[in-house]
Amino acid sequence: MRIGYYISGAGHIGLILLVLFGGMFNTPPQSFEVTEVSVISGAEFDAMMQGVQTPDVTTDVAMPAPDLPAEQAPPVESQPDPTPPPPAPQVTEAPETDPVPQQPDPLPQQTEAEVSDEAPVIAPPPQEEVVLSPTISDRPVPRPSERVAPEPVAPPEPDTQVSDAVTEEVVPDEAAEVVREETEGGAPEEATTRIVTEAMEEPSAAPTTSVRPRTRPARPEPVAETPPADPAPEAAPEQQAQEQPEAQPDQTADAVNDALRQALEGGAASPAAGGQSGPPMTSGERDALRVAVQQCWNVGSLSSEALRTTVVVAVSMTEDGKPQSESLRMLGFEGGTEAAARQAFESARRAIIRCGANGFSLPRDKYDQWREIEMTFNPENMRIR
Amino acid sequence: MMTRVLTLLAALLVFAMPAAAQTGGPLRIEITEGVIEPLPFANPDFVAENAAAAELARQIARVVSEDLTGTGLFREIPASAFISQITSFNSPVQFSDWRAINAQALISGAVSVGGDGSVSVKFRLYDVFAGQELGDGLQFNGTQAGWRRIAHKVADAVYSRITGEGGYFDSRVVYVAEAGTKDDRRKRLAIMDYDGANVQYLTDSNAIVLAPRFSPNGDRILYTSYESGFPRIYVMDVASVGRRALPTLEGDMSFAPRFAPDGNTVVYSLTTGGNTDIYRMDITSGAATRLTSTPAIETAPSFSPDGSRIVFESDRSGSQQLYIMGANGGEPQRISFGQGRYGTPVWSPRGDLIAFTKQSKGRFHIGVMRTDGSEERLLTASFLDEGPTWSPNGRVIMFTRETQGATGSASLYSVDISGRNLKQIRTEGGASDPAWSPLQR
Repeated sequence: MRIGYYISGAGHIGLILLVLFGGMFNTPPQSFEVTEVSVISGAEFDAMMQGVQTPDVTTDVAMPAPDLPAEQAPPVESQPDPTPPPPAPQVTEAPETDPVPQQPDPLPQQTEAEVSDEAPVIAPPPQEEVVLSPTISDRPVPRPSERVAPEPVAPPEPDTQVSDAVTEEVVPDEAAEVVREETEGGAPEEATTRIVTEAMEEPSAAPTTSVRPRTRPARPEPVAETPPADPAPEAAPEQQAQEQPEAQPDQTADAVNDALRQALEGGAASPAAGGQSGPPMTSGERDALRVAVQQCWNVGSLSSEALRTTVVVAVSMTEDGKPQSESLRMLGFEGGTEAAARQAFESARRAIIRCGANGFSLPRDKYDQWREIEMTFNPENMRIR
Repeated sequence: MMTRVLTLLAALLVFAMPAAAQTGGPLRIEITEGVIEPLPFANPDFVAENAAAAELARQIARVVSEDLTGTGLFREIPASAFISQITSFNSPVQFSDWRAINAQALISGAVSVGGDGSVSVKFRLYDVFAGQELGDGLQFNGTQAGWRRIAHKVADAVYSRITGEGGYFDSRVVYVAEAGTKDDRRKRLAIMDYDGANVQYLTDSNAIVLAPRFSPNGDRILYTSYESGFPRIYVMDVASVGRRALPTLEGDMSFAPRFAPDGNTVVYSLTTGGNTDIYRMDITSGAATRLTSTPAIETAPSFSPDGSRIVFESDRSGSQQLYIMGANGGEPQRISFGQGRYGTPVWSPRGDLIAFTKQSKGRFHIGVMRTDGSEERLLTASFLDEGPTWSPNGRVIMFTRETQGATGSASLYSVDISGRNLKQIRTEGGASDPAWSPLQR
């Protein structure tokens, strides 16, 4: 009696297994391409084949049909122009001995022109404008110059005379109220601030050094104008320190003490009567003198040893600001041999005489301050150019 | 508040005592910036003291001017700008006329030719702005054939008096003269004046010759020749052009020789058993001493001027770098640490710098550095620069520059140690491997 259950159960189990795993052993159906087929009639096929052959027919159509009535032909299409226009002589530059035939026969004409002795002038094809993005920056390469100076100078105009200072060109002007003497303009020689070697001329993608603006000369305080009591050249750094724009609060007391000390010491050291008179030299006036001299101080021809030698040169000045050549003397030197010091002194002497030939720009009312000048020529900065 | 009071008090004191503020003594300023530019000079044609000297007087003055302007340190003022002329060697100089044209130095000279063909040249140098003579007048005597040497000597004296360092115009250069295409190049030794004049050939072009080097007094030349099939070092007497090979074992390759300052010792490279090391040899006895002993390639030795040290190139660190060791060998000290490869070091006659060739980023450079490797400066850059040699005064470097391509050729260039005044030396045909002589006597 249970046999029926068993048969039923086995059948169900078999059915379930067939459903679950029946497809495992079957191969998947192979893919196939489906092509759509349309059925056309014989007339349609003939029409279609005529369409394929259209190019040949079209050529014939383009030609004027001789048997077509003139009134049925389209006005535009009836103008047969199957051949290109004859080339213009200017374009082909055909020689005169090879005249263009009157009868339009373009193809032979073109061939003739191509084999002519003279090459035809062919208009250049329009160039494509290609814009490449720069791979390097447009940083200007340092321009080499024969002259190296503290301040760079742009090259003067070609016709401009080279002079130490910029002078305006004066040309005759009949309409001018004041007649000025005709002079040529002058400008300083082109200069760069450092020696540019060939190895430096390679363009770089990034700047390697930055040009830092110079610090503005400090407006001197009255206290700073006091000449140091110590006449030695080493007093210069102290002097510079006094010309700081503003003292820090915690340094103020020291500055005041220094000022008091210097004022008192200076008073003690000054001559009781007949000393220098007039207001003290300002920092700007000193700078003007310094700049004037350094423009003529040429160290380019000095030896390496002379470039390591600092010399102190004394000079007496005339009242019109000119150095007295015979008074120039070397007070001392430091850092080199006597021979090197002599070369350095000669270079300094040339600078003072040359740039002082027309008189330095010095305040007349302070002549007592600059009647005697001691200049320390220190080429340390010039060695590293 | 107290500070302000004190400041005010100080200011009052200063203004109340103007005489005290103006201490006695001169105005003092310090000049720390100057300019670097050629010094303008005037050099009128020398005065011909007899008719036979007329042409020579003009030629000598021109060579003197070319020597000076060729340094880049001087600029000649053209004769068309002269206000006054020098018509007599002993007539007083009108300094104001020369100042007016900004001539800072003035050369005045005279030439006379004797009946026996001897030449006498005298000159004076003036500091125009100081209005006085720089040094005493000098006179040189020689032959007509040697007039260029006399001119160089005058220029050397002028250069020395203005710059304070020795000149280098009366010197010669030995080099390898090249002819033919790159794949069929013929080389021979040649010698010329420093400015390219008076070229003479010392060898024929049957064998390849390389790297000639002067002895300290300029009477002999060391060079390498492939005459035997292998590179071998020869020493040549310049006057007689006689030569002999330095003793080496059969099959060994010796090259890159250079004299020691004593003139009796040669330092060179020797390749034996596939290894290249540096040796020194007593040139008289032929006794050789090995100075380095590593599996690396070590070559291009050069003595310091005092003979105590040797700089050379080696790839013992994996790349080609510069090293310094004692004259008798010992542990070397590396001095080059920059990017790229360094080679052909040469010690300056002054002893303060070492010139070298550097290859970096596809370019070749001639550069200088301190003897401790510091302050490296590259002076040139091109497709191929190599083989620096120093002028006798240590101020100028000459080297070989080769241009790119199948038609490229080698030529000689010189540059100031500041990197200025890069220029080509005139030679007949191609030229390479220059070596500067000491000043002639």
